Amino acid sequence: MLRFLLSLAVGLGLGLGLGLYLGWIQFPVEYTDAPPSSLAESYQDDYTVMIAAGYLVDRDVNAALERLRLLEISNIPQYVQNVTERFISSSREVRDIIYMVALSEALGRLTPIMEPYREVNVRGTGG
Amino acid sequence: MGYDLAGNQPPARESRYRRPRSLVSWSAVLIGFLIGLGGGLFYAWNINPVVQVDTQPWQLTARARAEYMAAIALDFGYDGDLNLAVQRLIELRPQGDPFQMLADAACQLATSGYVDSNAGLQAVQSMKLLYQLQGRTGCADTLVAAVAQPTEVVLSLPTPTPLPPATKTPTQVPTPAPSPTAAAPIQPTVPVQSDFVPPVVRTFCDATLPGIIEIFVQQVGGEGLPLQQVRVRWNDGDNLFLTGLKSERGPGYADFEMEAGLSYIVDIPGRSDPTSSPLIASPCTTETGATSITSYRVFFVEQ
Repeated sequence: MLRFLLSLAVGLGLGLGLGLYLGWIQFPVEYTDAPPSSLAESYQDDYTVMIAAGYLVDRDVNAALERLRLLEISNIPQYVQNVTERFISSSREVRDIIYMVALSEALGRLTPIMEPYREVNVRGTGG
Repeated sequence: MGYDLAGNQPPARESRYRRPRSLVSWSAVLIGFLIGLGGGLFYAWNINPVVQVDTQPWQLTARARAEYMAAIALDFGYDGDLNLAVQRLIELRPQGDPFQMLADAACQLATSGYVDSNAGLQAVQSMKLLYQLQGRTGCADTLVAAVAQPTEVVLSLPTPTPLPPATKTPTQVPTPAPSPTAAAPIQPTVPVQSDFVPPVVRTFCDATLPGIIEIFVQQVGGEGLPLQQVRVRWNDGDNLFLTGLKSERGPGYADFEMEAGLSYIVDIPGRSDPTSSPLIASPCTTETGATSITSYRVFFVEQ
C-alpha cells in the first residue's frame, strides 16, 4: 500500500508540474474582451501617436481628448506630456516625437525639452 | 518439492512471486499523473490564471478594436503610410481581409453613437478613405457623407538655423523701373475653388443667445446641406465642425459660441470664401434694453 501511495504521489507531482507549465506558460488563458486600459504600454504609445497624427489632420484638440479617453487615463494632458518627454529621452522616431509635441503644445503642455521639435504650421487661407 | 513450515508449497521458479518486486507502481504513477495534470490545468486556467496586463490590440473588445482601427486610419490620413497602416491592421489579427475588417468596423461605428461627435465623424471619414482607396465598401459609405478635409502646409523646424553673418559689401536694393503702361493683372494658375456664393452675414442681439454664430449651409432652393465641414478661426485658434448635428434646427445648421471681445472668421474650408469682415463678439443691447453680446447668422448658399 505504501508503495502504491508513493507512486501515486510521484505521478501526481509530475502531472501537476506539467499541468501548471502548460496552463501558465505554454497555453495560458488569452483574454479576448480586454479593456483598452490593459493594453501593453507600447500599444498605448502607438495609439497615442496615431491620435496625435489625427490631431494634425483636423487640429481639433477636443477630438483628440475624446479619442484618448479610450485609454481610460484620468489626466490626459499630463499623460501626453509624459509620453512625449519619454519619447524624446528615449530617442524614439522623430516623426512620432513631432506628432506628440504638436499635441502636447495644443494641450498647453509644451516643455523646454520639446521646443526643438516644435512645428510651425501655416494654415491655408481657406477660401 | 519441499514445503515450508506452514505447509505451503513454494511458488514455481517462473512465478512472478519469485521475481524481485519493483519499487514503483506504474499504474499508481499513471493515475497520479493524470490527476495531477488535470488538477494543474484546472488551477492554471480557472482558479489562478495568468493575469494579462500587457494585452495586444487584437484582444480588445469589439468596440475598442474598432476605435483602434479608427486611430490607424487617422494616422494614415496624416502621413499616408500604407505599409504602417497595414502592419497595424494585421496586429488586430483579422479573420480575412484587413481592409474589409476596417470597413466592417467603420460600419459598426457609423451605426452607433460614435458618430454623434465631430471626433467620431472625422474618424469614420478617415476609415472610409483608407478602405475605399483599397476598393472595399461598407455601410459607412452610405451612412456617413463625405466631408472635405482642410488644407494646410506644415513646415517642420526641428533645429533653429543660425543667421548668416552680415556681408561687408553693401547690396543694392533693386527698385522697380517705372512703367508707362499699367501693370497687367496676374492671372492665378489655379482657379479659386468656391462652391458657394460669398457668405451673407446678419447680426442680431438676443439676451438668451449671447455671442452665438449660427451657420446655415444651404442649396440654392434653401434646403439645408448636412455634414458640411465649417471652420471658425480666431486669433490663436480654430475649430472645425459639421452641419446637421443639431437636427432640430435643420440639416444645414451648425452654431458656435464666441468669447466676448474676440473676432472670428467663418468659412467652409476649400469650398467657400471666408466672411468678408470679422465677426466681433461685441456688447449689444436688446430691444427690451437688456445687455448681451452680438450674435451672427452666416448663410452659405451653393452656387
